[in-house]
Amino acid sequence: MNNLLDPAAFSPDRHLLLVIATPLLGALVAWVMGSRGLTAVRQSAAVTATVTLVLAGWLIVRYLGDPGSEAALPYATVQLPWLTQGIFDVRFSLGLDGLSLWMFGLSALLSLTAVLVSWDAVKDRPVGFYVLLLVLEAAMLGVFAARDVILFYVFFEFTLVPLFFLIGIWGHEERRRAAVKFFIYTLTGSVLTFLGLLAIVLWNSSHTGTVSFDIQTLTTNLANHPLPMTAQGGWLQMVVFLALLAGFAVKVPIVPLHTWLPLAHVEAPTGGSVDLAGVLLKIGIYGFLRFSMPMLPEATAVAAPWLFGLGAVGIVYGALVALVQTDLKRLIAYSSVSHMGYVVMGLFALTPVAVEGANLQLINHGLSSAGLFALVGMIYERFHTRSISNLGGIASRAPWLTVLFMLFTFSSIGLPGLNGFVGEFMILAGSFQRAWGGVAPGLQTAYLVLCLLGVAGVVLGAWYMLWAVERVFFGGSREPPRGTAAGRHGHGADHHGHDAGHADRCDLRWHEVAALVPLAVFVIWIGVAPATFLEPAAMAVRDTTHDASASFAARMSAATPQDQVAHAP
Amino acid sequence: MPIDSPLTLLVLVPLLPLVAALVGVVFGRRLGGWAHLPAVAGIGASAAISLMLLAGTAERVKSASNDVDSATSVSVEGVTTLWQWATVDHPDLPAARPPAAVGSFSIPVALRLDPLTATMLSIITCVGLLVAIYSAGYMHGDPGYPRFFVLVSMFVFSMTMLVAASNFLLVYVFWEAVGACSYLLIGFWYTKPEAARAAKKAFLVNRVGDFGLAVATFLLWMTYGTLNFHDVTAADGTLLPGILGPARLHDAAGYVGGAVGAAICLLLLLAACGKSAQLPLHVWLPDAMEGPTPASALIHAATMVTAGVYLVARCAPIFVACPDALAAVSIVGATTALVAALIGTVQNDLKRVLAYSTISQLGYMFASLGTGTLLGFSAAIFHLVTHAFFKALLFLGAGSVMHSMGGVIDMRRFGGLRRIMPVTAATFLVGSLALAGVAPFAGFFSKDEILAALHGKGWPHAHAEHHEAGPAHHAAVGPAVLPATGFSAAGTAADFVSDTRVDAAAADSAAVVLDRPATWRVLFWMSLVTAGLTAFYTFRAVFMTFTGPTRVPDEAGHHAHESPLPMTGPLVVLAVASAVSGWWLFTTHALADFLAATPSFAAPAVAATAVPHAFHVDLAVQGTLAAAIGIVVAAFGHLGRRSDGPQLERFLGPLRTLFAEKFYFDPIYSGLIVKPLQALAYLAALIDRLVVDGLVDALARLPAGLGAIVRRLQSGLLQRYALAGALGTLLIVLALTWRMRS
Repeated sequence: MNNLLDPAAFSPDRHLLLVIATPLLGALVAWVMGSRGLTAVRQSAAVTATVTLVLAGWLIVRYLGDPGSEAALPYATVQLPWLTQGIFDVRFSLGLDGLSLWMFGLSALLSLTAVLVSWDAVKDRPVGFYVLLLVLEAAMLGVFAARDVILFYVFFEFTLVPLFFLIGIWGHEERRRAAVKFFIYTLTGSVLTFLGLLAIVLWNSSHTGTVSFDIQTLTTNLANHPLPMTAQGGWLQMVVFLALLAGFAVKVPIVPLHTWLPLAHVEAPTGGSVDLAGVLLKIGIYGFLRFSMPMLPEATAVAAPWLFGLGAVGIVYGALVALVQTDLKRLIAYSSVSHMGYVVMGLFALTPVAVEGANLQLINHGLSSAGLFALVGMIYERFHTRSISNLGGIASRAPWLTVLFMLFTFSSIGLPGLNGFVGEFMILAGSFQRAWGGVAPGLQTAYLVLCLLGVAGVVLGAWYMLWAVERVFFGGSREPPRGTAAGRHGHGADHHGHDAGHADRCDLRWHEVAALVPLAVFVIWIGVAPATFLEPAAMAVRDTTHDASASFAARMSAATPQDQVAHAP
Repeated sequence: MPIDSPLTLLVLVPLLPLVAALVGVVFGRRLGGWAHLPAVAGIGASAAISLMLLAGTAERVKSASNDVDSATSVSVEGVTTLWQWATVDHPDLPAARPPAAVGSFSIPVALRLDPLTATMLSIITCVGLLVAIYSAGYMHGDPGYPRFFVLVSMFVFSMTMLVAASNFLLVYVFWEAVGACSYLLIGFWYTKPEAARAAKKAFLVNRVGDFGLAVATFLLWMTYGTLNFHDVTAADGTLLPGILGPARLHDAAGYVGGAVGAAICLLLLLAACGKSAQLPLHVWLPDAMEGPTPASALIHAATMVTAGVYLVARCAPIFVACPDALAAVSIVGATTALVAALIGTVQNDLKRVLAYSTISQLGYMFASLGTGTLLGFSAAIFHLVTHAFFKALLFLGAGSVMHSMGGVIDMRRFGGLRRIMPVTAATFLVGSLALAGVAPFAGFFSKDEILAALHGKGWPHAHAEHHEAGPAHHAAVGPAVLPATGFSAAGTAADFVSDTRVDAAAADSAAVVLDRPATWRVLFWMSLVTAGLTAFYTFRAVFMTFTGPTRVPDEAGHHAHESPLPMTGPLVVLAVASAVSGWWLFTTHALADFLAATPSFAAPAVAATAVPHAFHVDLAVQGTLAAAIGIVVAAFGHLGRRSDGPQLERFLGPLRTLFAEKFYFDPIYSGLIVKPLQALAYLAALIDRLVVDGLVDALARLPAGLGAIVRRLQSGLLQRYALAGALGTLLIVLALTWRMRS
């Protein structure tokens, strides 16, 4: 263990292991600290999250400095035998590449935010809360670093359990219903996903003779022996694709499988919402990129128009539903539905610009929605209501809170110069490129209409967000009715009673600033120089979508009358 | 043509206001009443640099045109790339039907310097500086004092970037950024619900326009394979022609016409309508008057609202390839000019009169742009320049009145103010004369040019004769291009006159629907009527405010007085500019010659429409007559003791209601767009709860009906579910493994 601190021996793989282990160690420390009271627990959690963030950031910097990163080679690979008996080859296999790099960093960043926004909000059984939050962090880091199917699935399920308890114990009034719905819904989907992954493993083993669970190996082998995509083969590739889709689509969520999300968000404690919106939703998209697209390219190509359409419809649908919400947190939850629609649309447009935009939009949405959920939590702590009609004039009482809310709102509605614009623009530009010249003539009109729907979503997005901003922050100060302050944290209501009753200043406190400013920095950074964030992922994204994109093009050519092909320049 | 040092200076123009804004954010509170200093210093330095750039560019234009006397189109262009915003290599698809041209997605943050940009930069920073100085007096004592100057600096940064940007994505970025600054400044007094609502409305209406710009940008990328204005030489030496770069400008087949071209133009027009408050997206501008008056002067009169004019002018070659789209620009412009002027005649809020006047004058600029001739484009920019002076002057004058009247802006409540505030009254009068188009004030000359451009399209033969009589500038005209018929050269310069072009257009292309002399004649007469209306409502406002018995509202207190020097100083400067700029720019023809060297205008298709510089006596007489009638009618109705009565409005009858209700645009939009969308949203929410979620819940309840065994399993204990899940999974794994072994 001594040479762990020796720079020469501190190899990237050890570094990666350390990043994932730190939150677990921190959880242990927090548990031990439990007897010393709330302050000790939350301080230890904050220290753990900060150390993890620094380590993760350092690892990312090391990755970017590595010559292999240009070629999208996996970095910091860890390979420990786990279950290697007979033909089984399950390994504790970790590593980073361009696909997972930024999500890995975002998980570390948002975990610190989640700890800091819970600072004053959680006073009930803090030990359990922070332990779960840190276990969740380890699981999130692990999901994106896993390079083995079984390990991925273990981490994936491990994200569910802590969040289930976080919602179920520290949530709001309807927390139990929300937690159960969230858990059952996601679990049902993910069990199907697991079956699909097993089918892939078995198909591979029937060709190679070893039951390999290594994602890299599977991807390579499946390119050589694709799952059958014919009636003879039982459309096995499509069946497996649908099985994977079941879990991933619920997770994203793709409309109409989204109804667990608003409920879970509204009932979740702020810290849980931050992790849920910021990271957990992205696992679905990550799953598409990591498994479905490279391993099942032909099925992806068949499903792409449908999912593209669902994405575009989801944008408008989510935005419309958001427009009539009366609960601020629910409104932002529906905006997540709308924004994940953009990501799905971009992903299944299958053009390099759109997919790179979608991959970046994962990060963008993670930053903006986490920031907005954190701010809604802060508003709730001050005024004990999330009802838009009961809030008003916060700008004069909490100017810096307002400034940050405006910043994340602008990021969310895709104001250029901030991060949200980059992803949205690239997704829509890439989708437009697909619609313009990349689909069979019969589909072109439908694709163009869907693209226009997507662009119209930009207008709707501004509408509901600015409406909410107008009602909540502008206008005269409104005193929220005391009756609504009956949160379940009885002592909380007493503690903040004087805040709610007066038009006093109640601006951000240090830990709230610390929770939000790092996000704001990235919101601006990505908006001004997105190339910094696009380039490390570019090669990996292209590799992972290449087969699906080619397969899609082949289908479209087949559906195009030959005379039109001849006329093409 | 590398111009190294000017490009460094060019970067400073937006950078200094940005630094000023950041300084304001950090030290604003500490500076307190001195918080205007960073903004004034930053914008001031930026204005000085802009003027240097303007002079330098003018110098280069002059030397370039002397050097190359054979070339028709002198193009002066400098581009500097700051950093690469985003790159996606090889986005070419293995496609069924590859698009005509899609290069890589490569977006540099590139700024450009050319005559059009230099002109815009000078206007923005000079008016910005005057407004900043004025605001130091006007906003004095406001609790948001530092915030105001941060926002103004941010705006100047965004606006200068917008006009200096050298690709469409960057234009889109700052197109929205100025919109965001506008949003924040309209909602500056955010505790006022009307201000908050007006800010939101402005942003949303602009977003509808931005929809157009976004789709236009995608179409441009699909069509031209790049979003850059300028040409780029790749590492391997191949030239990638930009959309508005010299390579494409001089390529006879450089621009697409047809449906795609028209779609691009109409979408750009939609974007311009949003930003420049043209019909049907004009509804946000009058409400935007909720913002502080200096912000209205800078953003909603002089600069930001002219971004649409700038965009269309910049895209001149794209528009010229689609004559019908051009005609649509003029139709939108002239109609807006007339409608807004009609509404302006019955407004009683001084700022709203000016707001409708701004919409109307922007309509003039669009009408001029739509002629698609070099005269039309340069006249539009000429009017943009003079309008920036006199409209900023009028707004700041109105602000001065408001400042002294304790915030009251209803013209019926005060009168005879010339005795109380002589400087404001005198400068306001100068601005009004300029706006009304009275010789020799600035508006007279620029409006005359616009009328000439429209007249030239409506009566091409008359103009041809007119020009043959004039000095023969035609030697300088290059190979002419017929925009209507595509891109075939129409012979030499000598036999190119505007009437052949119109005749050829009418004969060759049956597809041209709108671009006919009859259309232009109607537009000309509409513009002339608008000129009369402009003079009427302007002087109605002057008479109601400054003449008649002295009356001061109670809100002003007992010591209504002339505004302090920081406010009157800028008024005087702007008054001088409004008085002389038109005369000077017209007689020396400096601006038109200068602008002609802008790459977009130097394109053969545009340059070929050049006509000799002339003073159109007949049009000047008509314009002056219209203005005189307007002023006389206003004097009849509102001069002196009649200053406050609704004398003239009685004669309008039901029309008065129509004008006062602003042609019912707001209720129509509410009923046709907002309400249906809200109903749809409610429906979607209902479906979401009952159908989508209902199905899920029904599915979840299904097992409960399956009998006692299942019910016992439904213990609600998570551990048991998890256990069942794990066991099930294990079973499946075992089963699969078993199958594998066999």
